[in-house]
Amino acid sequence: MKPKFIYNSIFVVALAAMASCKPEFKDVTPSKGTADFTRYIAVGNSLTSGFADGGLYLEGQQNSFPEMIATQMKTVGGGAFYSSFFNTSQANGSGYLRIKSFSASGLPVTENVTDNLAVRGQIAVPGFGNVTLYTKFSGDLNNYGVPGIKLANITYAPYGNLNGYFERLLPGASPTNTTTYLSFITAKPWTFFSMWLGNNDILGYATSGGAGDVPTDKAVFTSLYNTAATELTKTGARGVVATIPDVLGTPYFNTVTLATLLAAVKVSAPTVTALYIQTGTGTVRAATAQDYFVLTLGSANVIGVPNSGGFPYGLHPGNPIESKYVLDQAEALVVNDYVNAYNTTIKSVAAAKGLAVMDAYALLREYGAGKVVNGANVSAAYITGNLFSLDGIHLTPMGYAIVANAFIKAINTQYGSSIPIVDITKYRGVKFP
Amino acid sequence: MKKSLLIFLLGLPFLGYSQSFQVNLQGQKQIAMGGAGTGAALDEASVFFNPGAVSFLKQNGVQAGVSPIFLKTSFRETGSNITEHNKDKIATPVMGYAVFGSPASRLRFGLGIYTPFGGALHWEENWTGKYTVTSLDLRAIFIQPTLSYKITDHIGVGAGLVYSLGHVDLRRAVPLTLNNGETGTAKLEGTSKDFGWNAGIYVETISGVSIGVTHRSQVNAAIKNGDATFNVPDALISSFPTKFNATLPLPATSTIGFGIYPSEKTTLLFDVNWVHWSKYKNLSFDYDNNSRIADTRSPRNYHDAAALRLGVQNQATTKLVLRAGIGYAFTPVGKGYVTPEVPDADRLLLSAGVGYKASENFSVDLSFLYENVKTRSETNIETNLSGAFKTLAYIPGIALTYKW
Repeated sequence: MKPKFIYNSIFVVALAAMASCKPEFKDVTPSKGTADFTRYIAVGNSLTSGFADGGLYLEGQQNSFPEMIATQMKTVGGGAFYSSFFNTSQANGSGYLRIKSFSASGLPVTENVTDNLAVRGQIAVPGFGNVTLYTKFSGDLNNYGVPGIKLANITYAPYGNLNGYFERLLPGASPTNTTTYLSFITAKPWTFFSMWLGNNDILGYATSGGAGDVPTDKAVFTSLYNTAATELTKTGARGVVATIPDVLGTPYFNTVTLATLLAAVKVSAPTVTALYIQTGTGTVRAATAQDYFVLTLGSANVIGVPNSGGFPYGLHPGNPIESKYVLDQAEALVVNDYVNAYNTTIKSVAAAKGLAVMDAYALLREYGAGKVVNGANVSAAYITGNLFSLDGIHLTPMGYAIVANAFIKAINTQYGSSIPIVDITKYRGVKFP
Repeated sequence: MKKSLLIFLLGLPFLGYSQSFQVNLQGQKQIAMGGAGTGAALDEASVFFNPGAVSFLKQNGVQAGVSPIFLKTSFRETGSNITEHNKDKIATPVMGYAVFGSPASRLRFGLGIYTPFGGALHWEENWTGKYTVTSLDLRAIFIQPTLSYKITDHIGVGAGLVYSLGHVDLRRAVPLTLNNGETGTAKLEGTSKDFGWNAGIYVETISGVSIGVTHRSQVNAAIKNGDATFNVPDALISSFPTKFNATLPLPATSTIGFGIYPSEKTTLLFDVNWVHWSKYKNLSFDYDNNSRIADTRSPRNYHDAAALRLGVQNQATTKLVLRAGIGYAFTPVGKGYVTPEVPDADRLLLSAGVGYKASENFSVDLSFLYENVKTRSETNIETNLSGAFKTLAYIPGIALTYKW
């Protein structure tokens, strides 16, 4: 028995030694490079705020790309970072969309989340309309993302009365505010910034089928972009700016198409071969594959409904699909023209100021076309693509993580820093029922 | 008795590891000598290492052994500062051999049960590569009845029929988000039953050097009607498959081995394995419902790869044998094809062991094998998972032998 005892002892010692020996890699040396991340501020619109599924709510705020970047910056000297989180009792914020069920044809039926909102009221602003007001936020703030804000709004003093998301951050209540967005965000010293502005200067025009808004003038855009960049760099702070994504590449414009509409109509009316639209200029013509339909047409349930003249909606020139549902070919060209002009401005201003550029236009086109990320398929497909949230415009947490990594890579390249990337696969896509 | 032994061996949860998913843990004496053993009539494990040498064994005997594998794999995604580790899960491949017949006769019989292929790698459920794999349990247990015939006093041939019992359990996350915010999962599980063979020639030359040449055939682990279990959103579940077919080639191995005997007490063994991995082109899954996921055909494009093994044993006392070995296995996995279920790279093997003869009939052998798989950093061409893998394996082992 004695040798066996010795063997057993050796065996036990060997097991104990093995249990602790995990292979490690060479340590990465953290470096902030030539940048200083002591106080990072995030300047932007809904995409910066973490807006998703047609609303701003706590989970989205927590998964905003500035939150992700700021967490990673802490490994290279980044400071505390604060967002205007909704209280957990009002976690659903503005409310948002969720999938209720799927129709027999497999299309998602969405509904609005209406409980635990942070809505505190509504005010009618003369000459503007109704503004929904939200529970005020008054803590430290680094994420200045304001859903809906245009570059054109950043120096407009009454804006704090017209946008409930901005009003929420200001001390005063609408309609008494006079602080511009630009002076609000620059009130406290900062060392690093991200700026992703300009999307809404064209988005409103596009999503309303060219009917509800006017694109910001290109020269005005250039002037204001320079103003913002000059203001944000005036104290020597470094930063990163982002281009405007390809608006027409989002699911909002590619889910409801001429082909899907015709296929749905043909189920009950096999002889129909054309749909009629009213263009932005008022002409009525048959739709072509070059015209875009907005996502909301899919759930509007208007196609085929006869008007007073007895003509079925969309199926007869006498009752065309309204302009607000259609971004016709000419309007689509306008959208692309403005996006390209804005992006040229953004890149040239960034180059002049020595700022890093996150090319969101190129990034979302690349991922939108379909890309495998750590084994997960990501694309611009509505709901199943993992990139875009239920509203078809804003991103999922996974989409925002992809964006965060692109920002981090742009910053590291420009400033020689070594901010670690986030793990994209830790973030979710669209929730299914 | 034999039947209950068989049930006992098959019932153990096995899983193993060595060049890619080939497992080279077939005999404790051989493990202790770097895995060499083809060119010598060493013990009952010759049923596996060289059926031709079985007829040269001086005694009959049975042996049973086990080699628990402590596998430590780490991964760090490119650009990340976080190192992720596999879960501590011990795989326990077993091996058992029996040699019968009259040692005086030219014809001998053998039976072997061993596990030449397997893998057990378990990652955290939420790790970076979860959409590629979260766990793989793979094993192919070979049962090999063997005939060995001594043609002359110096030349023996032998062959065995291999009956392979395969089992695979592959799990991964599915990039769809459930209502609770968690990701979907997939589990593919199935079994296979296939045949192959193992044959060898053993020659004791006039110079005193013994030479063995063997070939173990390819066995296809063909899984038919395996269970595909998807945990995905209720709204989509009907569009997912429930069954799958898949075939995994378990490649052929050709080996030449030499036994050199510098003194009566010392034996040197040297083996060269050539593993025909190039048959492993794709890992394909054929599903019974393709409305949401297409059949997959993941490129592997392995190439043939060699392993070199050198071992020595010394009869220290009449009861005690000391053994040591070193080996080097070249990876069959080309650049861009490294996958986290088998994060393979070139590897160095170091081994040692002792044998103790407790009585005329009974002996015990212990081995310890250390495998150091080189760090490998690259981006997988199919999944775009980019990062560095590093693996260490610590494999102690024990076998009990009864000879008569």
